[in-house]
Amino acid sequence: MARPDPLAGFDRQVLAVNGVKTVVLTAGQGEPLVFLHGAGTWHGFAFALAWANKYRVVIPFHPGFGESGDDPGLSDMHDYVLHYLDLFDVLGIDKFRLVGFSLGGLLAAKFAVEHGRRVERLVLVGPAGLRGKERPTSDVLRLPPDQIPSMLVTNFDVIKPYLPEGPDLDFVGDRYREGGTLARLLWEHPYDLKLHRHLHRLTMPTLLVWGEDDRLIPVQLADVWRRFIPNADIQIFEGAGHLVLDEKREAVDAVQRFLS
Amino acid sequence: MDGTVRFDFIHFMHYVHLPENQKEFASLWVDFPNKYFDPAKGRALYQRYMSELVLADELGFDAVVVNEHHNTAYSLMPAPNLIAAALIPQIKQAKICVWGTPPNLEYPNRLAEEYAMLDVMSGGRLEVAFPLGTGMEYWSNAINPATARERYRESIDIILQAWTQDGPTTYYGDFYTYRYLNPWPRPVQKPHPPCYIVGTGSPETVELAAKLGFGYASVFVTKDRAAELNEQLRRSGAKHGHHIRPDQLPLQVITYVAETKEKAEEEAVDHIRYFFEDALRTTPTFLNPPGYISLDQLKKRAALANKLHGAFSFQNINESFFVAVGTADQVVEQLTQWGETMGTNHFVIFGAIGDMPHWKVVKNLNLIAQDVIPRMRTAAAANRRVAAE
Repeated sequence: MARPDPLAGFDRQVLAVNGVKTVVLTAGQGEPLVFLHGAGTWHGFAFALAWANKYRVVIPFHPGFGESGDDPGLSDMHDYVLHYLDLFDVLGIDKFRLVGFSLGGLLAAKFAVEHGRRVERLVLVGPAGLRGKERPTSDVLRLPPDQIPSMLVTNFDVIKPYLPEGPDLDFVGDRYREGGTLARLLWEHPYDLKLHRHLHRLTMPTLLVWGEDDRLIPVQLADVWRRFIPNADIQIFEGAGHLVLDEKREAVDAVQRFLS
Repeated sequence: MDGTVRFDFIHFMHYVHLPENQKEFASLWVDFPNKYFDPAKGRALYQRYMSELVLADELGFDAVVVNEHHNTAYSLMPAPNLIAAALIPQIKQAKICVWGTPPNLEYPNRLAEEYAMLDVMSGGRLEVAFPLGTGMEYWSNAINPATARERYRESIDIILQAWTQDGPTTYYGDFYTYRYLNPWPRPVQKPHPPCYIVGTGSPETVELAAKLGFGYASVFVTKDRAAELNEQLRRSGAKHGHHIRPDQLPLQVITYVAETKEKAEEEAVDHIRYFFEDALRTTPTFLNPPGYISLDQLKKRAALANKLHGAFSFQNINESFFVAVGTADQVVEQLTQWGETMGTNHFVIFGAIGDMPHWKVVKNLNLIAQDVIPRMRTAAAANRRVAAE
């Protein structure tokens, strides 16, 4: 059976952002809602179409991931913050709602720390970035790539259609490329040593969303985040892993309610 | 051929006392538990392996070769310069080749210093190679594989600057800043000890060797690919104004000599099997950490990995790699032929193979020294006379 098109339902724009080929997916009309994806793009963003009923959903592929081009010059997370300043200029987006998942959660938090006045509401879904000494985050760079998908969900059927059935060198190659981009950013530290110092700047309404059975970034990290963002709400979803948005429609709806 | 021939003896110093359940481990690299290392057995192996390297010198080999790997039963040499230093007073004639420490795994000034020490201490007998380091080294050390190639080029640049320019100099790079690059001591050999790149055939590293005028030794590439790489280095070297000499293309050959072909195979094949099935056994993830190789190379290597790391067949290994197992006559003939097709006169004898016992290594080295090396030297000298007339 052919794998579903992970980009079905979105319009696709190809932009040059400071010389980097940047592919942006959009769906819906209304005020902009920017979604920053995690380190694996293979399972697509079908969940985000629900938000398109009310918002103009904007999902850029980060450089070095999915359909966007590579730029080895983007070598730390802050370079990505600057890339997004450029992209939002190109797109003419000033203020927006921001949702970041996993690696994209770290990026969203960093963006919002520095450019808080542009972020009306912030949602961090299973965000990477904090070390979590008591209950550390699984280091995705230490996991064998073929073991990662099953660690992401409680219900494997949710992601199974997006995975190849047998050996697939192209799929392996795409993941290897995304892993290489991630290594460039996070090999030395799979977390951001200084992020917690600056999280007090997140004064916009902020929601933390977690799957209760997240095996990659354990749900206990939600409390660590809230220690540094005192006003953040937390919503935890039972029967969901790291890919809580893919697994639980309730989580997608909760995000929408929070953003409205 | 320029009328000479050179024989090196390379030792990998495997830790061979593996637990009975070792086959249950997908990899003997990176995460193979180090509780299986027994220091007493390790000491005995060091003594034995060093004696084999010393024997090669006594028997008239031109050079001994050591190298570096980490976190693995494949190698007892995470710090080959220590081995080289210990060999210097025992090895009277042969060159000492450290092929080598991946420059990314040390500060470049320190590697320049250590190699200069060895060159001075040995009276100018050091040769070095600059490997990028296998993927496995990047899982075992605190260096980013995704920027490894850029860092590697910069490291070599710094080392060459340290050796060739009067200090103090400065270096302001992407990875390293040196405000006073001024290492003591400096090498005896000028402008510096002979250098090689050793690699598994990435186009980038061959191009780097060509640009720098270094030798290039390919390891674990197939015969066809090795011939292509040598040709690429000669062609590309010429473009950069470097005439690549035959001795700059060392050819590593799994070599075992015995009284008959059958006896040689009987004595060697199990150890060759051990080398490929056990010593080299690792996972695709460990071979290729994130960002370590290009996508193009990743896909090309998937095919080779099956040859290297799949089920062992001596016939396959024989067909794919440089393996000379037989009588002295057969080995001479085989090496002579490969010398011609590969355009080299420099043979690196991989003659302490896998878990081979000491007596076989001693026998092998003796037979090579008695019956192979002199004949090839005589033939080379005859060619030299013909060329001179």
